[in-house]
Amino acid sequence: MHIMEGFLPAPWWQAWFAVSIPVILYGIYKMNKLVSEKREILPLLAVAGAFIFVLSSLKLPSVVGSCSHPTGTGVAAIIFGPAISAVLGTIVLLYQALFLAHGGITTLGANVFSMGIVGPIVAYLIYKAGMKAKLNFYAVVFLATAFGDWATYVVTSVQLALAFPAGDVLTFAGFMSSFGKFATVFAVTQVPLAIMEGALSALLFKYVVNVKSDILVEMKVIEDAAVKKLRGTSV
Amino acid sequence: MTNILDDYALMSPLRHINNWLKLAIVFFGLLAGVSSTSPITPLFIAFCMSFATVAFGRVPLKFYLKLVLAPAGFALTGVIIIAFFSGSGQELISFELAGYPLAIRADGLELALLVLSRSLGGMCCLYFLALTTPMIELFAVLKASRLPESFIELSMLIYRYIFVFLDMALSIKYAQTVRLGYSNFKRSINSLGMLTSTLFIRSWEQGDKLFLSMNSRCYDGKMALFEVHRPVKVVEMFLTSVYFLLTLVLFYFTKNISIV
Repeated sequence: MHIMEGFLPAPWWQAWFAVSIPVILYGIYKMNKLVSEKREILPLLAVAGAFIFVLSSLKLPSVVGSCSHPTGTGVAAIIFGPAISAVLGTIVLLYQALFLAHGGITTLGANVFSMGIVGPIVAYLIYKAGMKAKLNFYAVVFLATAFGDWATYVVTSVQLALAFPAGDVLTFAGFMSSFGKFATVFAVTQVPLAIMEGALSALLFKYVVNVKSDILVEMKVIEDAAVKKLRGTSV
Repeated sequence: MTNILDDYALMSPLRHINNWLKLAIVFFGLLAGVSSTSPITPLFIAFCMSFATVAFGRVPLKFYLKLVLAPAGFALTGVIIIAFFSGSGQELISFELAGYPLAIRADGLELALLVLSRSLGGMCCLYFLALTTPMIELFAVLKASRLPESFIELSMLIYRYIFVFLDMALSIKYAQTVRLGYSNFKRSINSLGMLTSTLFIRSWEQGDKLFLSMNSRCYDGKMALFEVHRPVKVVEMFLTSVYFLLTLVLFYFTKNISIV
């Protein structure tokens, strides 16, 4: 859910930048540490960023007739963790604003917060919890990505409702009423979209596990024993 | 699939104008648009930027209009919600939809128009930048802006690989389409899953190769960039100042005007 350029009025777009920038800086710090330990990770991060961009520019087969794109950050969060996903998400969002006019420069802070920070964190937490509970790997990926998308969409509705509360003055009741409206209208596209993206991510991991599972084992996304179980080969 | 605006930027006659001047124009437009309190200033900015893109940048008018209308979906949904549900003044139109009373109020409509015009102004500024300034020109600006080194390196590498993977994704998609991979919903999902996973594995292998090739060329975490020095011409300076002045004057005189 990209918020368009110029959509957020004065105090809000600055506020969302103020919230997002420390997280991005923390992400850069984490990334620098990782790169200094393992130098071969930087090119991998670069291709992962390009992968997210290309993924987000693919059209999903749509259910309701609106054109919809996957966000791709859920997959990044599962592989690299939320801190680095925030950095990758920021760069991808910047390119989307400049190449495709999705989102904008003044709304970049708000968009980074919803798509680059909250979405990946939710996806990552669900992924970790699910793996700990020893659920099926693909089901966990599906849930993590879908809920990550939904979190993004709820945050976007919150951002819009804070900027445009019902009754013009920001009160709790006005915020809630406006939030309800934005959330209901966007739900039409976002609820099926998140399910689609969850299914797509699960399929992605299924093919990767079948063809080249050593990538995932190497990145500590999944353990070797779990891969063998998924592929149906005994240890 | 998608129009990468960068292709147009590379051919643009405005490409060789000083990057800082173009950025100043764009950021001025964005900030003036977003902080204006009447729809007139953003509309004026939208008009000026569109004129500059189409007349000076020689972008085909039809293509440009298509681009501006493309993100209209999000804008319209948002604006309609604002028009219907905010404001407390006098009602302009009211009707009932499935038992719910709906009304557009004067100040709600005013706010909706303001937001719509701000979006339009901001988008025209972004399109001006996207259609006249290729990303490679902006890297020099990024370097000078003292952002963290690794962030810029990552941006440059990502930029390079977007095109490689976009090509790859397109050719896989064509191959799948001619084999009826997108003929119904279930197949589409399956095909898209195969496409993304292949893309993922190939990009991973590409990453390994990239590391090897860059290491063997003594990569130490910094790529050197050559920034071309481009002096600002008097005409450009003059036009920019006229534009800035007109916008500021308009901004000042229309700050209390209401349209509805």
